[in-house]
Amino acid sequence: MTKTSAPLLSIESLSASAEGSPILHGVDLAVGAGQTHVIMGPNGAGKSTLGHVIMGDPAYSLDGGRILFDGQSLAGLSPDKRSRAGLFLSFQAPAEIPGVPVSSFLRAAAAGRDGLDLKGKQFRKRVRALAEELDMDPSYLDRELGVGFSGGEKKKLEMLQLLLLQPKLAILDETDSGLDVDALGVMSRGIDAYRRTSDGALVVITHNTRILERLDVDRVHVMVLGRIVAEGDASLVAEIDAHGFERFERTPEDATRDGGAAPDARGDGAEAARQADPSPASADRAAQTVATL
Amino acid sequence: METLTIEHANALPAPTWHRLGMNDVNIELPVLKAAQKVEVQAEKGLRGEAGAFEEAVAAIPFSPFSPFSPFMAATPFMAAGEAGDQPAARAVDSEVSLGEPASLPTSAAHQVDDQESPTAAKDGGVAKDGGAAIGEGAAIDEPALSAFQMEALEARYLSPADVFSTGMGPEASEYLEFVAGEPIVFATRPGERTCATVRIKGTDGAANAAAIDVVAAPRSFLSLAIALDSPEPGTGVVGTRLRVFAGADARVDIASTQTLDDSWIALDDAGILADERACVRVRQTVLGAGRAYTGLAADLRGNDARLDVDTRYLGHARETRDFNYVVHQRGRRTVCNLDANGVLAGESSKTLRGTIELAHGCKGSTGSEQETVLLADERVANRTVPVILCDEDDVAGNHGATIGHVAPKQLFYLASRGISPDDAERLFTAAAFEEAALAAPDPRTRAAIGRLAAQRGVRIENEDEEAVA
Repeated sequence: MTKTSAPLLSIESLSASAEGSPILHGVDLAVGAGQTHVIMGPNGAGKSTLGHVIMGDPAYSLDGGRILFDGQSLAGLSPDKRSRAGLFLSFQAPAEIPGVPVSSFLRAAAAGRDGLDLKGKQFRKRVRALAEELDMDPSYLDRELGVGFSGGEKKKLEMLQLLLLQPKLAILDETDSGLDVDALGVMSRGIDAYRRTSDGALVVITHNTRILERLDVDRVHVMVLGRIVAEGDASLVAEIDAHGFERFERTPEDATRDGGAAPDARGDGAEAARQADPSPASADRAAQTVATL
Repeated sequence: METLTIEHANALPAPTWHRLGMNDVNIELPVLKAAQKVEVQAEKGLRGEAGAFEEAVAAIPFSPFSPFSPFMAATPFMAAGEAGDQPAARAVDSEVSLGEPASLPTSAAHQVDDQESPTAAKDGGVAKDGGAAIGEGAAIDEPALSAFQMEALEARYLSPADVFSTGMGPEASEYLEFVAGEPIVFATRPGERTCATVRIKGTDGAANAAAIDVVAAPRSFLSLAIALDSPEPGTGVVGTRLRVFAGADARVDIASTQTLDDSWIALDDAGILADERACVRVRQTVLGAGRAYTGLAADLRGNDARLDVDTRYLGHARETRDFNYVVHQRGRRTVCNLDANGVLAGESSKTLRGTIELAHGCKGSTGSEQETVLLADERVANRTVPVILCDEDDVAGNHGATIGHVAPKQLFYLASRGISPDDAERLFTAAAFEEAALAAPDPRTRAAIGRLAAQRGVRIENEDEEAVA
């Protein structure tokens, strides 16, 4: 299902680095309200970095380009303000904070948000209902944040926060990593619930296609070495599932040496991108992708 | 204003490097009149007579042989004529007859060496033939003993009453007893299950304290809640001096909650003596007071005695927190757990001393001290000294600490959920209050926690109020 609307998130020529090492190189991305985009790529491609840079992680420096969210530039906006503007990042490895009960943390996260800052029993009831929906033991709510949680419980807590905070756009950074089949099912249920109740946009960062099986994906972006090297519709997921990322990882030098560019990326993927999203920006991006390759 | 100083309070029994400045603390107090306004709630028949604690401690069967020194009779300390002073004590535990050590096996001889009398050691030498010290030449072969080792040796020959102490030390104890006046005595009957509450309110311009004695008879259970609160504004001193005797198979639970405003000084001094299989659980919650001093000493004398201490504290603004825990594990198979969890914010400072002595004779015992401190501000000062002293084999002593500033990764995580760095500091403080409220022993204490939290700009839910509504 493709929804056509003005981009909720618009990233233009984004370059970023960490401790002086460039990681992202001129990334462009446009996500419309209510859309589901998938960013795939091999390890070290810069997918997680992109999520963190969008969220404003101070560990990364913005070297160029800009990020617009809901029509406003995120430049100079601290992560907490980005969160309250409607952005959400589900962490691959959520932080542990001893001494802070989960319930206190959730209350602080929801405080001051329109319609979410419930009082006393109402809040507890709401949180417990969400925990139940995610097959999460409610006793975890009284435990210290992340301390002693299994990997699966940490991911469930991330999902609980997603459902509690109902952001306009959620970036799920490898939410599926390290989960067994049952836990994956719970995650998928959580994502369904988010889409159903909030109609929010999703950017799913993954290199595992399993979690995408139950999602209506609007766009797929392939990232390699800090660049978006291909885009397409949901069919690209199946293609990657079948053939992996190898063909996207070919450098221009590889292509020159082999006597031609990478045919798949330049052909079907880029063409699919233009067909799925006929906007000039998308066409430009596809052109850039071709140029890059 | 005239002041008095309690010197060497909360002292480490085995001092560390003096330049660290944390071996003890001098507590300066304003000279104030004693208020003696204490509220006591107790079940009928629980109040005992003054002197019950001393009687209970004196009644503990004691022998300088037991359980530490089966070959004590061979030591010059006893052979020099003192052995005859305690015939009754010897009859209590006579694993070895008095005459037996005349010809000791090698291993036993080592034990005799090991247990030389402190008197002789002080004199510089010990005769191995049961006589007096043989002169300065013998001192060459004797190990140099620290002041603590001397005291530990001496303690083997002293009765439980003689070695009983409180955590803050004698000066603080005397001060609090003077301020409190007549002690409040709770004495359970064998097998009884009961509870009591003592509330000490801050009284403006005065020192208000309670001296509490607990005597838990064998197999009884007592739950004691102590609340130090300042519902009305003012300045002064609020404190408790608590002595606990837990008889055989008795259990005593103590929940002490301190919610004083910053204008008050808190003194919380406790001493515990546990007989065989007795179990004492202490929960100390220190949330307020500009300066709060907490000391607890315990003598796990009986075999299989157990002590669990759970300390929760919060440092705010320029508050000072000073803790001292000293546990002597003397009985066999005793267990001690000292756990502390705290949050330090603003420019607060905290010192925590924790000493576990696995004394000679406490075979099979385990002692553990753990602390988790969250430093929510760069300006806080945190000092922790865990000390494990061991004079026995077949024992386990552990200590560990998790101390750290909030990492950038943690701050980013919180920020990604809309929690700014300022909100994060409030969250840490709120979390401490909420945890205390959840664990509060009664609605009034919970309300006191809520009152102090509100002063810190933290709103915590009060389920009691919700229930009433």
